[in-house]
Formats: sequence, structure tokens, C-alpha cells
Amino acid sequence: MPQIITEANLRNLIDLLVKESTLVVGPKKSGTMVLYEPITAGADLTLEELPRRSAKELFFPVCENILTFKRENGAVKVEDVDRSRFPEAVLIGAPPCDAGSPAILDAVFSWDYQDDFYQERRRKSTIIGIACTKGDDACFCSAVGLAPDAQAGSDLFLTPLKNGSYACAAVTEKGKILIDAHPALFSEGPAGEPVPFLDQSTEKLDLIKIKEWLEGHFEDPLWESIADICIGCGACAFICPACHCFDINDEGSADDGTRRKHWDACGFSKFTNHASGHNPRDVQNKRYRNRIMHKFKYYDDKFGKTLCTGCGRCIRACPVGIDIADILTTINNKSAE
Amino acid sequence: MCQPKNIYLPHLATIEAIVDETPDVRTLRLVFQDDAVRESFSFRAGQFAEYSAFGSGESTFCIASPPTRKGYIECCFRGVGRVTESLRGLEVGDTVGVRGPYGNSFPIEQFYGKNLVFIAGGIALPPLRTVIWNCLDLRDKFGDITIVYGARSEADLVYKRELAEWQERSDVRLVKCVDPGGNGPDFDGQVGFVPNVLEQAAPSAENSIALVCGPPIMIKFTLPVLERLGFGDDAIYTTLENRMKCGVGKCGRCNVGNVYVCKDGPVFTAREVKAMSQEF
Repeated sequence: MPQIITEANLRNLIDLLVKESTLVVGPKKSGTMVLYEPITAGADLTLEELPRRSAKELFFPVCENILTFKRENGAVKVEDVDRSRFPEAVLIGAPPCDAGSPAILDAVFSWDYQDDFYQERRRKSTIIGIACTKGDDACFCSAVGLAPDAQAGSDLFLTPLKNGSYACAAVTEKGKILIDAHPALFSEGPAGEPVPFLDQSTEKLDLIKIKEWLEGHFEDPLWESIADICIGCGACAFICPACHCFDINDEGSADDGTRRKHWDACGFSKFTNHASGHNPRDVQNKRYRNRIMHKFKYYDDKFGKTLCTGCGRCIRACPVGIDIADILTTINNKSAE
Repeated sequence: MCQPKNIYLPHLATIEAIVDETPDVRTLRLVFQDDAVRESFSFRAGQFAEYSAFGSGESTFCIASPPTRKGYIECCFRGVGRVTESLRGLEVGDTVGVRGPYGNSFPIEQFYGKNLVFIAGGIALPPLRTVIWNCLDLRDKFGDITIVYGARSEADLVYKRELAEWQERSDVRLVKCVDPGGNGPDFDGQVGFVPNVLEQAAPSAENSIALVCGPPIMIKFTLPVLERLGFGDDAIYTTLENRMKCGVGKCGRCNVGNVYVCKDGPVFTAREVKAMSQEF
């Protein structure tokens, strides 16, 4: 019989974790938005809607210090960031499209050179995923190999039940440890009837066929036709659970400052601009092509994974109405021709 | 504090010498401050590094000095942005940050016994200059060495003192050129664009390797010339000077298709370049 946790005990779990000095991050009302933010009281957990930005920032913050420097009497001293002080963290209430993204990003941050800022946060975090019952028309996780009840990336996975409780599945050892450490909050019981998932209208895409089409159509009229309306605002990349491009810049002065790693986007016109002024991606449709290619071909070539979880955020946020699911469907149809 | 390495942490180096190559191109000679780093830092010709002006950030340049000269490294850059202008503002004795060496390198050992033809344009000589000196320092291991180097104008030619040195040497054939209109009355080189000058110089492709670096437009017109001269795609090497940030295959900036230029390159053969997504 599965482990069951009641709604009240789920919130109690948060309170207990906070008491244990664990950083708990989950969907929380923040001004007019719901965002993944630190939760200090179980009552603040909000599972009513998908947070505006993805959960990737728990592991890969919007902006973080990677070193500090000081110049005294002409000598420069550089100081590392003490990553041992990164807190133990629990991400709670992430639907599969968010819970699944670190498992995709692990590949790039850990091949060859290890990005210890990302890695240390990953080592110290446990992800409590939750089956998604709040999907909308923009969602297409099922089309890219996930599903509203996909457990990939979660350490502990919750399935909402009609009686208000959650069925819990320990997906990894970390998930099991979390249950074992708080036995009073979980009870064995019959699963009961789950809350139904959104019936996803998007048809399954053939990602292999799409990739094959992309392979042969680096030059194609499609790119201009879909991407010339793109204004290069970068919103799609900033809210994406899988986009991970970043920039490195200094803040402060030559005498006293910090070096920071912060999010960037391949949709920005200066992203690939050479010092000479030459720009390999000199027009917006080349930049948009890169977005599609990177997600559905290049990343798969390199790491064997699709760089998209189908969360639909980029569709909801795009100010000019570019719909990546529509584009993929178009390519899917072309590849079948 | 014992923790896994921070891959973004630079070594500190002191500027030992500054040379202004042109009015806006500068060479910095750098010596690592830490004794152990100075001893252990080793690199191969073709590798690059991230150089930082603290307070402004990092820029990517090749290591322009040859690995055969120990105890220091050199970089060469044009002041065009925040970081490079800050680097230009530093003086002898000041401190910069250096991360690296990164990327692959020219397989110099495979060139032993072969003739070498270096072709560079403008500020793209530094990435080949490391190889040129590397080979000249091991001169008896190579056959003929030809250097075709051009810039927009006489003033834009970098490493002028070394060009003079190469011109003097009997074991180097230097073909120096500037674009039409870029020559003064006393210019002792040729007038013309690099691909045309190369075609006229017509170095033999037999048992030869060509190493090309320059602006994309120069590369575009040089490759067909090399082909006509008989150089195969595996006998032509180039180094891609893509914009980079992290240098370690994370930040996503330098990619050409599924290739991370910073990790899989920056040195590629013409065959490899032709197989990439054509986005240069």
C-alpha cells in the first residue's frame, strides 16, 4: 500500500523542515504572481497555479556571486564563495515540467568541467514533485516525453487524491530518506481516487522525426516565416525550465567588487556579437532558429536529452504570440510529408 | 575551506610588459603571481584563456605567446568594449586575472616534417603567432615555413618588429600585404587582399599544412584559393574566434550547431568546419 500524506500534514512537513533549518522552496503568492520562493510557513504553499518562472533558479539562480575581489595597496585578492554554506533545500510542489528540468540541466553543468555552484545545490536538494492537475491549453509536456504524472526528476512524487490527501511515491533514495525522517506525517493506506489530469489536447510529437527534419533544414523558409515577428525580448528563455545560457560580469569597482554569473538569452541581438562587430546570428530569425535547434537537436546530439519540458510558459508569455508547440507541430507534419 | 574547485576562479598575474602593436591593439605580457602556478601552468599552441580586468569582467583571447617560451604568457587584443578598454587602462605592475588554458590545440607533432603555410588577416595573427614561434623554436622539425599576413593598412599590421625579424630570416618566407589604399609610399610589402596575395605567392600544397585565421570574409575567400592550390580539407587548420564567456562548455554562447567551440575547438580542420551548421 502506498504512503499517504494529508493536506494538513504536507503543510506540517514544511513547518518541520523549516524548523530543521532546511530551505523550503515552493509555489507561493508573491505580489500579483505565484513564484517559487522560500516558504517559511506551510500555510503559504500555493498549489493553485503554475509559478510564473520555473524552478531552475533554485539550482541556477538568476544572478549569483562566483567570487569577490579586493585591491589593497596595489595587490588584488580574490576570494572564493563558500559553497559549503549553501543550505540543504527541499523543492516542494513542482509539477513534472519543473521537477524534470534539473535532470536535463545536470548534463551540461556536469560534463567535463564541473560547475560546483550548480552541483553543490543539486547535491543538497530534494525535489518533491506533484502530479499536475492544473494544466491549461498552453501545456504540452506529454508531447515532449513527459506527462502530468511523470516522476522523472522527482525524489518524492505526490499524486493529489480526490479526498484531499496525496499518494506519495519515493522515487529515489533521497525521497525515501525524507519519508523515513518524518514517519509521523505519513501513513500507509489505500491510494483512493486521484484527481483527474488535464486531458492534453496536444498530440504526441515524434521528437526523432523532428530532429531529423531539423538536421536537414538549417536553411529553410520556415525560419523567416515563424520568427520574423520575434522581438528578441528574451522572456521565453528567462521563464524556461531548461534554458541555461548565462553571462559573467563584474559589479562594483576595480578595488572592491564581485563577479557574477547571470542569465542570458540567445534571443538577444548581442549574444553572439564578435568584438569586430561581425555577428554570426545577425538577424532575429537566426536567433530563433538557434532556440529551436538547441532544444530539439543540438542538446540531444550532445547530451541525449530534449531541452524542453513542455511547460508552455514561453507560449503564455510571448508578447507577439509565438507558439513553440504550434511550430513543433508544423515541423512534425513537415517531417511526415 | 575545502570544497570542489570553483571553475570560474582566475589565477592572478602581473603585467610585466606592454606593447602597443597598433594605435588600438595592445599586447600584455603576464607573469603569474603564485610560484606554484608559474611553475605548473602549461598550455599548447591554439589554446585560449579568459582574461579579467577586475571590476569590468572577463574577455576571451588566445594565448599569443608560444608554449616554448616559459615563465610568461602574452595576450593581444583590440580595445573595443568595457573589459578590453579596462585592460588597456592597466599599467605595468598591475594585476589581471587569467583562467585557462582552455580548448584544444594545433596538433603540432603531426606537422613534423611538413611544410607550413600560415595565413592570417588583421588582428587574427596572434592565434597563429603562438604556432609560428612554437615551430620556429623547433625549426629543424619542419620543412619550408611561409607566412602570408595582411591587414587593412600598414598601421593595422600587428607584431611589426617580429614581421621584420621573420623577413630577415632565411628560413622563413614572409609575404606581407595591405589592402589597396592601405599602403604608404615606403611600404615594402605587397598591395592586395590576402586571398589574392596567397594565390600569387602560390605555396606548394605538397606535404604541406595550411593554418588560416582571419575575419570570416577572409576565410571565406581563402578556402577556395587553398583548394585550387591543392590543399585538402584535412590539411587546412583554422581556429574559430567565436564570442565566449565561460570557456568551459556551460554558458551556451560559442556554439556552432552542436559544437562547443570552447571545448571541441577552437582549432578545427576545414573538413570539420564544413561539416558544421554554417553559422559563422
